[in-house]
Amino acid sequence: MKEGDRTPLTQDRERDRLSEQQEVSDLLNDRAIFEPPLPKRAKRRRALKIWSPFVVLALALGFLLVRGLGNALVYFRTVDETLSMEATLGTSTFRLEGVVVPQSVTTNNQGGVDFQVSGVDGRRISVIDSANPPQLFQANLPVVLVGYLSHGTFYSNQIMVKHSSSYIAAHPSRVASLGGKKL
Amino acid sequence: MKLKIAQRYLAASALVAIAATVVLGLFITPPDAVQGNLARLVYVHPAVAWVAYLAYGVTTLASSLYLWRPTRSLRWDRLASSSAEVGVVFTALTLITGSIWGRPAWGVWWTWDARLTTTAILLVLYLGYLALRAVPMPADKRAKRSAIAALFAFIDVPIVHESVVWWRTLHQGATVASLGMNAKIHGIMAWTMLLGFVAFTLAYCALVVFRYRIAQGEDSLRERQISQWQSERLAQSQSDADRVSELLDNANSKSNVKMV
Repeated sequence: MKEGDRTPLTQDRERDRLSEQQEVSDLLNDRAIFEPPLPKRAKRRRALKIWSPFVVLALALGFLLVRGLGNALVYFRTVDETLSMEATLGTSTFRLEGVVVPQSVTTNNQGGVDFQVSGVDGRRISVIDSANPPQLFQANLPVVLVGYLSHGTFYSNQIMVKHSSSYIAAHPSRVASLGGKKL
Repeated sequence: MKLKIAQRYLAASALVAIAATVVLGLFITPPDAVQGNLARLVYVHPAVAWVAYLAYGVTTLASSLYLWRPTRSLRWDRLASSSAEVGVVFTALTLITGSIWGRPAWGVWWTWDARLTTTAILLVLYLGYLALRAVPMPADKRAKRSAIAALFAFIDVPIVHESVVWWRTLHQGATVASLGMNAKIHGIMAWTMLLGFVAFTLAYCALVVFRYRIAQGEDSLRERQISQWQSERLAQSQSDADRVSELLDNANSKSNVKMV
């Protein structure tokens, strides 16, 4: 059939068929063309629904970056660093890391413990702690303390135990069997 | 069908391996010299964290394959999103098990050290990836945008792993995956830990296959809905055309009668 031979009705049908094809191809691409145009208020509500999770996540990310990485980069000061910076530290709160000196631990009347921590080269700082020490707190283990330094003594209100990444059986020669009986 | 069978085998072997890890971890292995029974979390926590890394690695690989034109296929996009979803679950589990371990061992549920902070950032980044996927847009555009987002988010994975080396942290260093690969865990404890890694990796595979099949089902359902809608529209337009012809015929016959 030539172009000129087409009746208006045939042309209309042809146009409908083409537009139908376009719609289907749009749909296959997941374009939501069947949705009627939304009024402004509904559009705004929909945009809010879509973007609000991103705003919440961006705020969470910002909080983590500011709160977290600000602390994390210099998470603690060692005993040696603390002693060398003693004059400039004042009574600012910071984290101190050191190894609990054996036979230095005594309980105090504040419900905490008094002890000493040592650095790599053996220099020591006395600690007065006012909080309950954690379950793993013991001599020879590294600890991170939160508090401030005053006249050479560290006043701590939190002890965190920094255990190692090695795992060795408590009784390597006695391996427990099923039911708790010793082999 | 093949995926369904694979999923069944993977799920069954994951359950068996997890059960064996629980038995070995709770009843057979000895307590640790320093941590005592607290160390039993070493059979779960590092394995769960490893699965999170693996999941994001698979997401990154699948996203790269989608972005590369010769291999571009929505199958890769489906795999990337399935793996990311499972990865988010395992990252959350990493933070939860770490917190449960941290309270008695360290003395705190949470602290702002580099390992914990970068892990929390990792979780937020991949939640962002999933939020991006939930935005209504054409499938090809969503796949491309989320693939780019996945590549950016993955930058945090090596940072998380190396954070204990690069910065001072309360979190201990790597027990197995250190640079020298000298495992600091011995005997049956090491084997149980390895079993934990295998068990949770199998669980990850089963969950990804399961999620992939759901995504596949969702896609084919959408296609079916579109073709149904298409045939309804065609039938409607056909009946409209018939109605128009009928009206035209009636009008013609009426005018013929008038002329007669």
